[in-house]
Amino acid sequence: MEGIQHTGCYHCGLPVSQSDNFRTVVLGKTRDMCCPGCQAVAKAIVDSGLEDYYRFRTELAEKGDEQLTQTLAALETYDDEEIIQEFVVQDGQAQQIQLTVEGISCAACGWLIEKQLAKLTGIRQVSVNVSSRRASISWLPEQLKLSEILTKIENIGYHALPFQPDQHELSYQKEHKAFLKKLGLSGLMSMQVMMLAIGLYFGIFGSIDPQTKSYFHWVSLVLTLPVVSYCGSGFYISALNSLRAGYVNMDLSISIAVLGTFFSSAWATFTKSGEIYFESVCMFIFLLLVSRFLEHRSRHQAAQISANMLKYVPLTASRIHGEQVEKVLARKLSVNDIVLVKAGETIPVDGEIIEGASYIDESMLTGEFEPVSKNVGSDVFGGTINKSNVIKVRVRQGLKDALVNQIIRMQEFALAEKPAVAHFADRTSRHFVVIVLAIALISYLVWLTIDPARAYWIAIAVLVATCPCALALATPSALTSAMARLNKLGFLVKKADVLEQINNVNTVVFDKTGTLTEGQFSLGKFDNFSADSSEHVLNVIANLEHYSEHPIAKAFAITDKLTVLDPKIEVGLGISGNINSVDYRLGSAAFMRNAIPESMQWASVFLETNNMILACCSVQDKIKLGSAKLLSDLSSKELLLLSGDNLVNVSKVADQLGFKHYDYGHTPEQKLKKIRQLKEDEKSVMMIGDGINDAPVLAAANVSIAVGNASDIAKRSADVILLGSNLDNIPVLFEMAKRTHSKIKQNMAWAIGYNLLILPLAIFGLLTPWMAVIGMSLSSIIVVSNSVRLTK
Amino acid sequence: MNIIYVLIPIAILLVIVAIAVFFWAVKTNQFDDLERQGYSILFDDDLKKTDSDKEKENSDSNGDR
Repeated sequence: MEGIQHTGCYHCGLPVSQSDNFRTVVLGKTRDMCCPGCQAVAKAIVDSGLEDYYRFRTELAEKGDEQLTQTLAALETYDDEEIIQEFVVQDGQAQQIQLTVEGISCAACGWLIEKQLAKLTGIRQVSVNVSSRRASISWLPEQLKLSEILTKIENIGYHALPFQPDQHELSYQKEHKAFLKKLGLSGLMSMQVMMLAIGLYFGIFGSIDPQTKSYFHWVSLVLTLPVVSYCGSGFYISALNSLRAGYVNMDLSISIAVLGTFFSSAWATFTKSGEIYFESVCMFIFLLLVSRFLEHRSRHQAAQISANMLKYVPLTASRIHGEQVEKVLARKLSVNDIVLVKAGETIPVDGEIIEGASYIDESMLTGEFEPVSKNVGSDVFGGTINKSNVIKVRVRQGLKDALVNQIIRMQEFALAEKPAVAHFADRTSRHFVVIVLAIALISYLVWLTIDPARAYWIAIAVLVATCPCALALATPSALTSAMARLNKLGFLVKKADVLEQINNVNTVVFDKTGTLTEGQFSLGKFDNFSADSSEHVLNVIANLEHYSEHPIAKAFAITDKLTVLDPKIEVGLGISGNINSVDYRLGSAAFMRNAIPESMQWASVFLETNNMILACCSVQDKIKLGSAKLLSDLSSKELLLLSGDNLVNVSKVADQLGFKHYDYGHTPEQKLKKIRQLKEDEKSVMMIGDGINDAPVLAAANVSIAVGNASDIAKRSADVILLGSNLDNIPVLFEMAKRTHSKIKQNMAWAIGYNLLILPLAIFGLLTPWMAVIGMSLSSIIVVSNSVRLTK
Repeated sequence: MNIIYVLIPIAILLVIVAIAVFFWAVKTNQFDDLERQGYSILFDDDLKKTDSDKEKENSDSNGDR
């Protein structure tokens, strides 16, 4: 057995470039990897003897972290007393914590993490839940630190962070367990009662003597009692609540049917005369619970996924206190504190630079990956990353007022605008119940005049026959099946009703950087004016750029290591240095001493010696592999590119991918306005994005998709999260939505058709309650098995 | 036929035991993750020997020869 077959990186499946040499021996063969990150992860897995992971996994892994050492260093902050107190539960000697683990894709991941952690001394228990992507860990604090556990998980390519389920989810979980218990109990009891009932129905014991019959009835009564009192309790409570609120719901007709049947059967048992339908009551409750459980589970899953986004990232800051620097938690900072931010660190709060100059990566706010140059007096924002030099920042606002939080608030506001589709279903069922109750009452009254003895059971049969059990199952069963299927295909669908809305989508809006492109720069056009070969010139550029922290530097690969003497970095301009006794200057147009001719205006990077411009080139962001295919697949819809980037870059990407419409230079507010405007024009908008700046827009769109490498805030506000950054599958989402929609329609047609067909039979007394229950069960089973076909 | 007066109560007792076990299972989160456990049987619990162990073994067997 060789595990899953795929081309590309053996670990994560991304394309492997020929020039790279990242290899590891896995399962006895040398495997190509796409990056040092994947290589390190694969090696860690193999070295700890857990190669079986590769044999049995059913999904590819996430790309490894290339800046692993930095990530690991940051984990130490989790040993802070305050965090421990907030998230860790004391369990005697041991401590216990819940972690969300990103990157879990299949059962093999769970095994890998458990085995890897079990090797640490001091671990008491690890259990990884693959479906909710969480781990619960208990350990002995004297022997092991929390950061060591997180490090171990990080080493094998997963990202674990502590989190606390919110109140909402806790109550869901409680309900979930209650449902399971009720379902199990009613199922087991139904079997017992059914067994006795079959004996009674068919008279297997020959002519059954009255004494045995009465004994069977009593046993059935005892067995049915817990089902009616405990398992059915939810229906009565909901019915009472709705009556108190002044309206009727489906549970009212259910309660009447259940309690009516049970009490008259019980009366018949006492008096030894009359009809007994205990088995019908049990079956009825069991099947209703199945449909409720399915519905609940689909909502539960969605809630879990969004709760995973609420993980806690403690920001620490180095506060300058007189002469000393001390580490504090960012939320303890107050206005006018001075904070030291080293290169590569996240700026903890909003403030103003009072010393130093640096490049700041504001991509999480603006969505653009090109760092912004900042000097003394410039504003910096919490959550952005300091790229190059040490700066001192004076805190202007406490953490709770930081710009990031403002964006989250904006997004919550947009979320509240979303119309609840569920209301419609509620209203229709209300009318339905009123009609059913009226029909049952009328048939009861009419039959009283014809045959009073049968009137009661006919009314009950009407209630059972019209029970919208199959109808209630029609939608949730189809949605749950579709969600399970989509999950396998790499989508996390957070809200089930999204699948219905996708069918209406006629406009698809894309973010550019990070969504359609990779957010990594590569060399574009290159012009060489020197006497040397282009390879040599590019190598010179690469060697100079090696000293730069600017992301553009990554676009150049060193082919031959040269010694650079006296390298100097001019922040925001470029680099100078001496290679083989030639003075080179590399950087932007403003950095050049020689005049730049008109014909070179397109370029963004220049190389010069003291007397002439040697070369110029442009750098570009690479377009993702799947982008072009995705756009051609979606060509039947209106496509729009919406970006915060400048005209040149946006139009270039738009031209390459064939966008007819594009907008550039948009701030998050402008993007939001644009989406609102599209919605006002009666368009149903799907937004595909990734950055924090996209979060409000994602929340405002009718349907939103966050791509795999998206920021957490974007994931939180999106309806669908794409696992992995591959865009190819998005058309499948449309197709699946269409199939789900037609499945729901089929189910509805069947359920309503059946109810309409059976109703006259029940009214005319051709149907006893047990027949009604069997008919209802069959109808439900047909609906469910029809839905299950979606998972294939 | 009188045997059913004994057998049915025994059956009920067994069902009660089954229900008790089921409730315990729900309470202790046995149903939390239904995807995962089916695969457990595929994995070896005994960790493979590391390379250094293997080398050692090889040299041992060579020595015997």
